[in-house]
Amino acid sequence: MYKIILPFRYLFKKHISYLAFLAVSLCVFIVVVVMTVMTGLVTDFKQKNHRYVGDCVVSTESLVGFAYYEDFVNILEREDFIEGISAVVKSYALVSPKGTEDNIGVEIMGIDPVSHSQTTGFGKTLYYRKDDVSKAFKPVYAPERNGCVVGVDLMLMRDAKGRYAYRASPAEMAFAVSCFPLTAKGALAKAGTGLVNTETFYYSDISHSGLARVDSSLVYLPFERAQLLCGMAGAVKRANVIHIKFKPNVKLAAGCEKVASLWQRFVEERSGEKRADLLEKVTVQSWKDYRRAFIAAMEKEQTMLTVMFALVGITTVFIVFVVFYMIISHKSKDIGILKSIGVSNGDVVSLFSGFAFLVGLLGSVVGLFAGWLFLLKINQIEDWLFERFGFQLWDRTIYAIGDIPNRIDLKVLGIIILSAIVACLAGAFVPSRQAARSAPVEALQVNPV
Amino acid sequence: MKLFLWLRYLRKKKIVFLSIAAIALSSALLIVVASLFTGFINAFEQSAVEALGDIVLDPPIKFAKYGVFIQRLEQVRQVKAATATLSGQGLLHLGRGNVRAVKLLGIEPERRAKVTGFKQFLHKQKDLPQGPSFDVQGLPETLAGFVGIGVMAEPDEKTDEYDFAEIEKMVGQQVVLTTGAVSKAQEGTSTRGKFKRKTVKLTIADIVFTGVYDLDKRFVYLPIERLQRILYPNQDGQVADQIQIKLASDAQTDVAMAQIRGVWQVFAAEQLGWGPYLILQTNIATAKQKQSQYVVELRKQMGVLLLIFGVVSFTVVLLILCIFYMIVITKQRDIAIIKSCGATSGSVALIFVGFGAFVGIIGSGIGAIMGYIVTKNINTVEEWIRIIFGLKLWKSSVYMFSKIPNEVNWDSALPIISSAVIAASLGALIPAIIAVMTKPVNILRYE
Repeated sequence: MYKIILPFRYLFKKHISYLAFLAVSLCVFIVVVVMTVMTGLVTDFKQKNHRYVGDCVVSTESLVGFAYYEDFVNILEREDFIEGISAVVKSYALVSPKGTEDNIGVEIMGIDPVSHSQTTGFGKTLYYRKDDVSKAFKPVYAPERNGCVVGVDLMLMRDAKGRYAYRASPAEMAFAVSCFPLTAKGALAKAGTGLVNTETFYYSDISHSGLARVDSSLVYLPFERAQLLCGMAGAVKRANVIHIKFKPNVKLAAGCEKVASLWQRFVEERSGEKRADLLEKVTVQSWKDYRRAFIAAMEKEQTMLTVMFALVGITTVFIVFVVFYMIISHKSKDIGILKSIGVSNGDVVSLFSGFAFLVGLLGSVVGLFAGWLFLLKINQIEDWLFERFGFQLWDRTIYAIGDIPNRIDLKVLGIIILSAIVACLAGAFVPSRQAARSAPVEALQVNPV
Repeated sequence: MKLFLWLRYLRKKKIVFLSIAAIALSSALLIVVASLFTGFINAFEQSAVEALGDIVLDPPIKFAKYGVFIQRLEQVRQVKAATATLSGQGLLHLGRGNVRAVKLLGIEPERRAKVTGFKQFLHKQKDLPQGPSFDVQGLPETLAGFVGIGVMAEPDEKTDEYDFAEIEKMVGQQVVLTTGAVSKAQEGTSTRGKFKRKTVKLTIADIVFTGVYDLDKRFVYLPIERLQRILYPNQDGQVADQIQIKLASDAQTDVAMAQIRGVWQVFAAEQLGWGPYLILQTNIATAKQKQSQYVVELRKQMGVLLLIFGVVSFTVVLLILCIFYMIVITKQRDIAIIKSCGATSGSVALIFVGFGAFVGIIGSGIGAIMGYIVTKNINTVEEWIRIIFGLKLWKSSVYMFSKIPNEVNWDSALPIISSAVIAASLGALIPAIIAVMTKPVNILRYE
């Protein structure tokens, strides 16, 4: 019983313990706010990448692409764990708006809008054809013409709040798109005859994926047209990527493993055939591995921030240590009495550990509550700061960030609370052990009159 | 006596070392964060100066007779050198299956070397006594260019370093470049010139490695006259779309900019026949000013990060409060004796506040040394993290530069050190007040 009563008694009677409590609350508040925002940004970025590529990607880095992709798509279609498949042509192109002298180097992606929307989040990134993606490449003003979907940052500017000035319908604009058509060996296909393929496409829609690099440099074209432009539409047709979406109950690793084994078997079956050498450079990756170069940078920043907080958090351990040291040195008589009535060393340690646990828990709860309140209003606070003082946490004309993420991740929360309690227990450990080792006779003989 | 007591407390009360450690840790962390951020911002601004010169003149449209303008500019005492550039975009076929979207920059190599740090970035020509040149031996008519190292290869995934031996093999090789050419509009019509694809063969004369990923990844440099002939085949005379200017070492930037604007206004009106609208639309700014939007954003982020760590570091005040409170409580007899000997309340308070400041000075001093050592050796630290944990923290593709800037920013470090001393004194204030309130008679009467 004393193990429950005494910690509460020390907490409320010894005002110095409020300092430890305050330090824990302050640290938890800051860490909850910063980690929630950071985790929100990382999670949001990961989700956008996931939506951009689907679950699994069969791809080659070479712009030459790989052959027999249609046969492999047919094999995949027969599998019951797959929900969507989209073959894609990827390359670089020069795009020139007609009637201007502008000439922009962009990445192009040849897709079938329907299958690509079933596999990735492409359909939801559209502005004008969101409800009927099959018409994504049909300009509203001239549906018979070949359309193109342009990355939003290539077409529109963001305002100070990160919003784009969309028009009611797409403006009538034509783009001359030029590519180097490549042979299956990677050489220029039109050597001696101009070397490049050029075709005109009409602006039909905008794609806003939320990924800055994608939205500022990507133009989507109809699959067959892109295949022709890139020289991949010969007798043995080629593509660069196959995006795959699994059914909801399929785990990512298991699904990717199945696709990898199907691909392995497919490559073996095709060995010896014409252009089969191109299949050897193809890899099967989960979306996380495929987009690792982009995601890893943000994850590393999150790790660095965590390490820095851990370093600064050492001060909290010191505070708890000092507070406990003081309490124990003032409560030597209590400890002496407890030990003289038969309380073991372990019980003394557990008494003060319980007190440390209480400080950690209550400090975390208060810090968490304050953090939650702050996060709840963080976007309103930023709006107010922007209206009054022109201050924004991130300049939305530069960064492709919408609202500040403020949804608390329970997993992160658990880790923060656990860390706070562990920090308190660590800080209290040495003073507790010292208290446990003290001899009752020495503690009780003080102040002889 | 105060110093004697401080040293005695420091020696006898080992717990004080905890506050020193906490102050040192917090100061070091803040100094490292401030230095890295400031280093990054400085490197960002410096890279702009090295790429663009001191001042950049951007007219709203391309203009002719830039040679005349440069000649006039170089007569201004404040201007050391100037050079013209012409830009475009293109698609480069480097070899089998290897195509890159690139930015084309037409340059005057010798002049550019005088205005910017261009020569030192050329892999083959940087040590040659003469200025850089596009000339290919034995082939005077060949179109040659300098290609950014990142256009030709990606840095190693683990080490973030380029394989120079492999890249060097590309020098002297021919690649294919396609871009757009603007044909002349018909006389007497309002129609604009037609835009057509133009494809040319290009010999790689040298590799450009600036250490700035975005520049190395995107740029291909060509002789300005040759690029003009490709982009604007029907245009007579010289054409440029930007002038980059190097100022004399003793030049005052504001004065120089005013003089450059004056020369430009006269030139544009006389030689180009431009009206006031086009002249006023010409942007004349320092290379640093051109980066100011991003620099402001970076400084803001640094401020927010320092504020966050500063608030967390505020717990140091609480720590010192605890420790000093404990000292005051355990040293009440000392305080009572000092007061009974006639020491004033102010002197007693000063013992503890002074001791707080003393601890703050020692802690922040150690923190500054730690911050200095970590910042100066940050690239080695990062390399060791890569070797031990296999984690490459700094990549040029993400953070722009190939090396982490490692200059300690003393302008930020000094306020951090001062704040640490103030925080430590602040933490000692309440215990000092408690010490002042100690009544000697209450403490000593039991003796």
